[in-house]
Amino acid sequence: MKKDLTKIRNIGISAHIDSGKTTLTERILYYTQRIHAIHEVRGKDGVGAKMDSMELERERGITIQSAATYCFWKGHEINIIDTPGHVDFTIEVERALRVLDGAVLILCSVGGVQSQSITVNRQMTRYKVPRIAFINKCDRTGANPDRVIQQIRDKLGLNAVALQIPIGLESNLQGVVDLIIMKAVYFEGDNGDIIREAEIPADMVDQANAKREELIDAVSMFSDELMEAALEGTPTEEMIRDAVRLGTLSLQFAPVLMGSAYKNKGIQLLLDAVNEFLPAPRDIENVALDLGNNETEVILKSDPDAPFISLAFKLEDGRYGQLTYLRIYQGKLEKGDTIVNSRTGKKVKVGRLVRMHSDEMEEIEETVAGSIVALFGIDCASGDTFTSSDVSYSMSSMHVPAPVISLAIIPKDNKAQINMSKALNRFTKEDPTFKTFVDEETNETIVSGMGELHLEVYIERMKREYSAEVEIGPPQVAYRETITRQADFNYTHRKQSGGSGQYGRVGGFIEPLETGEYEFVDKIVGGSIPREFISSCDKGFRASLKKGSIAGFPVTGVRLTINDGASHAVDSSDIAFQLAAIGAFKEGFAKAGPVLMEPIMKVAVEGPTEFQGPVMGSLNQRRGIIIGTFEEGDYTVVEAEVPLSDMFGYSTVLRSLTQGKAEFTMEFASYKIVPKHVSDEIVKEAQKKHKK
Amino acid sequence: MNKKELIKNSPLRVLNPDLNGGGVSQRMGLVMARAGLGKTAILVQIAIDSLLRGNRVLHVSIGQSFEKTKIWYDDVFSHFVTTYALENAALIQQDILRNRFVMTFKESGFNRAKLEERLNDLIYQNIFRPNYLVVDGLDFTKAGREELQNMRELMEAMDMHIWFSAVSHSDDAYACPEGVSSPCNEVLELFDTVIMLRPEQSDACMALDIVKDTTGSIESNKSLHLDTATLMLKK
Repeated sequence: MKKDLTKIRNIGISAHIDSGKTTLTERILYYTQRIHAIHEVRGKDGVGAKMDSMELERERGITIQSAATYCFWKGHEINIIDTPGHVDFTIEVERALRVLDGAVLILCSVGGVQSQSITVNRQMTRYKVPRIAFINKCDRTGANPDRVIQQIRDKLGLNAVALQIPIGLESNLQGVVDLIIMKAVYFEGDNGDIIREAEIPADMVDQANAKREELIDAVSMFSDELMEAALEGTPTEEMIRDAVRLGTLSLQFAPVLMGSAYKNKGIQLLLDAVNEFLPAPRDIENVALDLGNNETEVILKSDPDAPFISLAFKLEDGRYGQLTYLRIYQGKLEKGDTIVNSRTGKKVKVGRLVRMHSDEMEEIEETVAGSIVALFGIDCASGDTFTSSDVSYSMSSMHVPAPVISLAIIPKDNKAQINMSKALNRFTKEDPTFKTFVDEETNETIVSGMGELHLEVYIERMKREYSAEVEIGPPQVAYRETITRQADFNYTHRKQSGGSGQYGRVGGFIEPLETGEYEFVDKIVGGSIPREFISSCDKGFRASLKKGSIAGFPVTGVRLTINDGASHAVDSSDIAFQLAAIGAFKEGFAKAGPVLMEPIMKVAVEGPTEFQGPVMGSLNQRRGIIIGTFEEGDYTVVEAEVPLSDMFGYSTVLRSLTQGKAEFTMEFASYKIVPKHVSDEIVKEAQKKHKK
Repeated sequence: MNKKELIKNSPLRVLNPDLNGGGVSQRMGLVMARAGLGKTAILVQIAIDSLLRGNRVLHVSIGQSFEKTKIWYDDVFSHFVTTYALENAALIQQDILRNRFVMTFKESGFNRAKLEERLNDLIYQNIFRPNYLVVDGLDFTKAGREELQNMRELMEAMDMHIWFSAVSHSDDAYACPEGVSSPCNEVLELFDTVIMLRPEQSDACMALDIVKDTTGSIESNKSLHLDTATLMLKK
């Protein structure tokens, strides 16, 4: 089987939540005869859309995981990754984009360019993904494709020009005028299967001519041939198509199509456009890092005969076992081949090779560069590179954002405990932004992720898929204790209650340490503390660090110097000096102006400029110091330093404050002293907890 | 040296001799130089000096990234710390951070109306009210006289100090009596104080000419230099 690589398209479909991505994908599958009936996302038949295979997705009507599928349209193989629209799931979007060659950006004809479109567009720019825009929902009241095109230009900075104009709008939407062939196109039949081309309605001819002129103007810069032809007034369809394709591939042009997925209008033309204008795997330059040669960049060739290179971009633990999605960049893969995980160096044999269609699959024998396939039973993490054994390349790593929120989860019973750890194990493998660890102090399991919804969905999935019921604790902040000035200590530990006694005296001082957590300085002269007990003092101090005396949080940033002491020939022991050191620490710490420290986060809120005022207000309310603002077109970044404890629930606040149009990232900046009135509260809380 | 001594000994006292921040209440100042000589460094030093004196500074950076501006401040401050052996540097730096606000704009995106809108956002919500404004990177060839006139009105309305930086073109120097080249020569009368960096070949430092001063606060016999290695001002 020799595949024509120019006829493969790996595309993503992404957009703002509720723009109708899943509906559109559903229609594509229907027209390409992958499915034989159309189910609505929130349909009355209760089947749900094909691509939303997870029960939770069907129930909530949102797509959580990007499912991969493929279809054939006019001799081209199109691999489609359906991507989630919600801000909290951007990692899924980013991962999908990494392996795509082109994308369809769906915009709602009423809502226009919304925040997620901006985010996704930025991500696409980062991964240099050529894109087509599709203005969906032209049947809805208030539809205005022209305004949306203007927004694409202004807000997304894309050179967007329509290839079509709608015939009728809102409930009157009948079809579109194709500006390249200059024909009206109607979609007839119950499901819009029948395409009828006709003359452009008389009242639209002038408009169509003007728009065609605009289109030719815009794309002629990509083709000298078209430019000349346009001057002479004889551009052909072919020339325009070539110019549109060249412009799209060079990321300097974004063709705009329109229609309504729900009303079955314009989808076939969108598929044509995918074939015509989006790149084949060969049109895109992919680079890998050569691990054998100092990580120099190597350009990959989409050649089936070159060494095999692929990227595992997604793991799924379905009912068939662990499934690994691979994008093949170079070479070919056959059943029975041995491939190497370049991160671990482990060799694996390819047992079963399948093509996924949401959660159903098809077994295949072999596959070539440019395709997306799934493998069974391979142990790896997402983002791993697999190669044939003769090369040692690694695909550049994907950008993984750090988790921003964490919660404690407590299983309700023993069974839930076991299931919970199973679930956590799987989720963390699937999703690099979801992390979990056990807090040593409280013994609670902590999960952290990209936002409240993100964690909520996993907790919900734990319940549904693993029947692990958990209780959610309030979000917690890791406070610390430290000192502000030097203080002396001189403590004698003495115990005389039958048997051998304990005796030790430790003298010295405690002082703030600018960098580092703890330092121990031994300045004992003349053996006032015998050599063998010096390390006991160190041990005692270290033990004291675990719990400070303000509110029981760990102590950091202290230097302890011992310069005096006393011992007893019989009663001094390791334990006696440890206890003396603990006592000395307590004494010194209390005198050294102890304070509570809290983690301060560097917070960057990105959103449309119009929301800058409220965003700054909200940060200010949260004890934040705003460092500055950074304007980028219609987008503004506000940077601030805010205590972590005041950032909980911020994603929700921000979302409602900005209509979901702003996003924030935060990372740890430093520990700073908690203001008095806040620290009093924390101490009170801690005391309450201890009493319990 | 403690903070007070640093303020007292700072070369910037040449430009602003009054220690208590009083004296001149408003001033529109301009630092001119050819590209790449150290305008930003001078502006940041003026800003840090006024921060030390307890002012709240809004730094508007046009066409330069946010990160870069912050690095300028960190660099200049650490030079202050080492040159003057400043005590309590960490605490002072925290104060500076609290009283400094950086806004960056794209080259095309800056004008008085926009700045005023942003400022009002800050002031109405009681987040930040600057009394010192530093504008770095405004293109005088594009901004034109009207925009600068607008900025002057803003300064008067808000009772602030403003310092600008501008690139002077070397090719047609001495186009006006003061020896100021375009594009600044046309707008010179809008400024109260104008200083110009002039590279000197002999020395490891550049001279700062005080081209104009109408505030009367600068003593005529004083002069300033800029160390070419550290880009720090010297008396």
